[in-house]
Amino acid sequence: MNWWRRFVQRGKMERHLDAELRFHFDGLVADNLRAGMSEPEARRSARLEFGGLEQVKEECRDARGTRWVEDLWLDLRFALRMLRKTPGFAIAVIGTLALGIGMNTAIFSVVNTVLLKPVRAPDPDRMVEFMNTNRGGSGPIASEIEFNLWREQTNVFQEMSGYRLSSLSSTGVDQPQFVEAISVTKDYFRLFGLRITQGREFTEEEERPLGTQLFEKGHVVVLSDAFWRRVFGGDPQIVGKVILLSGDPYQVIGITAAGAQTETPKAPDVWLPFLISPNSDKQVHYFQAVGRLKPGVTVDMANAQLQVMTEEFRRKFPNTISAARGDAYSVQRLRDVLVRDVRLSLLILASAVGVVLLIACANVANLLLVKAAGRSREIAMRIALGAPRGRIIRQLLTEGVLLSIVGAALGFGLGALGIHALLAVNPVNLPRIGVNASNLTMDWRVFAFTMLAGLTTGLLFGLIPALQASRTDLNSNLKEGGGREGTGFRQNRIRSLLVISEISLALVLLMGAALLIRTLIALRSVNPGFDPHNVVTTQTALDPRLVKAAGVNPLVQNALGRLARLPGVESAALTGLLPLDLSVSNLPIIVIGRPLNGPSHGTSFYGQVSAGFFNTLKIPLLRGRDFTEADRLESPQVAIVNQAMARQFWPDGDPLNSQILIAKGLGPRLEEPVRQIVGIVGDVHDEALNRNTAPAVFVPAAQKPDIRSEGNVVAWVIRVRAESPSLNSAIQNELRQATGLPVPPPRSMDEIVAKSTSRQNLNMLLMNIFGGSALLLAGIGIYGLMAYSVQQQTQEIGIRMALGAQPGALRNMVLRQGMRLALIGVAIGIGAALGLTRLLASLLFGVQPRDPLVFVAVPIILTAVALLACYLPACRTTRINPMEALRWE
Amino acid sequence: MTSPKSDLPQGTLDLLILKVVTLGPIHGYAIAQRIQQISRDVLQVQQGSLYPALHRLENRGLLAAEWKDTETGREAKFYRLTAKGQTELKSETESWKQLAKAVRLILESSEANG
Repeated sequence: MNWWRRFVQRGKMERHLDAELRFHFDGLVADNLRAGMSEPEARRSARLEFGGLEQVKEECRDARGTRWVEDLWLDLRFALRMLRKTPGFAIAVIGTLALGIGMNTAIFSVVNTVLLKPVRAPDPDRMVEFMNTNRGGSGPIASEIEFNLWREQTNVFQEMSGYRLSSLSSTGVDQPQFVEAISVTKDYFRLFGLRITQGREFTEEEERPLGTQLFEKGHVVVLSDAFWRRVFGGDPQIVGKVILLSGDPYQVIGITAAGAQTETPKAPDVWLPFLISPNSDKQVHYFQAVGRLKPGVTVDMANAQLQVMTEEFRRKFPNTISAARGDAYSVQRLRDVLVRDVRLSLLILASAVGVVLLIACANVANLLLVKAAGRSREIAMRIALGAPRGRIIRQLLTEGVLLSIVGAALGFGLGALGIHALLAVNPVNLPRIGVNASNLTMDWRVFAFTMLAGLTTGLLFGLIPALQASRTDLNSNLKEGGGREGTGFRQNRIRSLLVISEISLALVLLMGAALLIRTLIALRSVNPGFDPHNVVTTQTALDPRLVKAAGVNPLVQNALGRLARLPGVESAALTGLLPLDLSVSNLPIIVIGRPLNGPSHGTSFYGQVSAGFFNTLKIPLLRGRDFTEADRLESPQVAIVNQAMARQFWPDGDPLNSQILIAKGLGPRLEEPVRQIVGIVGDVHDEALNRNTAPAVFVPAAQKPDIRSEGNVVAWVIRVRAESPSLNSAIQNELRQATGLPVPPPRSMDEIVAKSTSRQNLNMLLMNIFGGSALLLAGIGIYGLMAYSVQQQTQEIGIRMALGAQPGALRNMVLRQGMRLALIGVAIGIGAALGLTRLLASLLFGVQPRDPLVFVAVPIILTAVALLACYLPACRTTRINPMEALRWE
Repeated sequence: MTSPKSDLPQGTLDLLILKVVTLGPIHGYAIAQRIQQISRDVLQVQQGSLYPALHRLENRGLLAAEWKDTETGREAKFYRLTAKGQTELKSETESWKQLAKAVRLILESSEANG
């Protein structure tokens, strides 16, 4: 029988024990009777011989080995009884803990989803992403020539796949809509364990490019289960049929299993073959590569191999990668690459919220200490009656753990609600959390974490009062009238230490919060380089077929003309490069007439814009001229560069006298004729407000035979007199009619600028919630301590008053006691913050980790709160009636 | 009942109980009686140590217990030896014999000297 069954059946076991001993006793009596005793004598003698019945039973129970469970059970019931007697106390403690644990659960659920969950692939630990490193940093990006070389390293990599996301539109169906596409080389399916339920995967032949075009999309397609059901109604005959995507025909060759998803931000609708020639000499970086290490190969081993390969590559193609620039190839774990932008901030937030829980623990420990002080007589009595000290400690710990487990259970629910409420208020672009945070689930890991947090906190705050109480001095406690204990020096010292630590921890959190507020203010005050106010934008994927039929420029001119005629619209333009939203990969630039040692003179962002783009966004023209209606396909080819490009490419010369060649060697679809630079425009923060502007070159959309940009997506920007929903739908309607393409509802450019700082916003918001909670808890902590200490000193204060002390002086005495603790806490906190805020450095913008303003203002705020928290109980001293106080007992 | 109360060395009672139980299923009272009889009244087992010992042995799986009627028709808890108890008894008996032999050797040698 195991201990659990013995425990559950302890009632039956007790009855059996009784019966067994009774049988023995009766046996003794019977023997005595047989020996000739009278019945009463026989019984008396048997009872004498038998000894203490209860003692025997007690020893038998010990021998059963379920003693600890039974004790635990008793302790639990006792703890529940105690808590029922003081519901206010129980609610205060459980509430504090539920909030603290709830916040931790919420943050941990994000950490769990983003940082801890393995990537969705077989053998997730062996999944790696290829990184290109140069002086400017490293990034997960690949060129065809590099990919082919990596693919040869079969001694370290088991399989490898190149991939690239793009956006297409589905046409030839009733409702044109966007289609999320991913182009993959054929190993991708095996790499991520994606199952094909109907049809087949790509073959090697389907992966071969047909021409010399960059990023061709082939003509076969694998559909996702969801897309197949949504668009084709689950047509069972779909495999083998031809569908139109962005006007091009593709033959459906397969359908993936339902829910097939990898680590892409959105689940793809269609999989296309990624076309790559084994002999490609293309050096443009435009896709990504993932691979799986062979079993037993570590990341370090793979990197050593890649280093050797880098040397080889450098000898073969001396112009492509340069030792001087620190160019190198490496791999990193896929999960690390996916989360590399957010790992640090998440870890900092997780630590911050842990600190809040610590402060909550300190508060609860303080409450328990007060309560234990009130119970010291009870405890002394129990010790006097023979309860071992260990048993008393266990009893008090049980109480603590019970409180915290209840708190944790509530906290789990609160955390689940909290995180979804937060993400609803602040939709944030964290990697791996899925569309609308659908991947963010409360799994067993989160539950285990919550319960562990509950247990740890229970032990943490339960232990101090337990040790304290078990050290009770029997004599003095039993003699002294109950209720005044706990003012002893030692106990107040422990409680003071708790309050001091609370204040210093709160200070550190508040400093972090303040630094993040300043970061956000600095970000908000960055001039984006254009005027986002009263500008709305929407995007369409320009369909080559449709465009060919009508002609690009007539189509665009028609659409822009219709938009401009709408009442309330000031101007409208088209662009392939929208700041903070739509960007394209870098294209190589060659300056005509300048000596070349390498494939190009550098790279630059590239955007095709209609005349009036710079005006619509109010991007200042610094020199030269803007594009005009006169810049047509047949007129001289022109370009405008931004200031960053002028500075980088013409540090001494004048760009206005130069000609450039864009995208040389990237195939006919991208290659450009030589262009004359005619103007220089101001810098715009294309990538992020806290990133420096990269070089960018603009060309007139009218000088391109067809509009092309990333996945054929172009943005329409419209400056309006005042934004309104009705104007937005009018714009959407007009564009839909003009282009015959799916048009999402227009968004305001202000919104896009604000969204570009959403991560910083989230950091700031959370850090302030944590800092605010810490401040509140620390305030309550110091208030509680001072209120209690005034209450305990009532008699002393009464005596002082009777002897003539001024109420003001007494109030100040209490204030001094409290503020001494607060100031010690603040001093320690400043010291800690000096060391710790450095960890925030990479999250900050426009403010130093040791910002003087923050280091002065935050301690002042905290001190003010502490002063208020001490002032309330201090004032109570003035209301003490000396006569009552002296009688108070 | 004034027979000499013997102080059994630690663990010896367990050994005696196991031995007595080998004779067949037997209840607690009879075990006490049997030990007293066999030792010719030298060893008298107090129920204060008998029952905790029985429960401990049952817990360790050396004894198994069952409620059965006695010949007088009353229900009693009968203990019997388990296979595990059998091996335990064998090894314990062995070590006890060795111990006794060693003790005797020492005692006899000191008698010879004295």
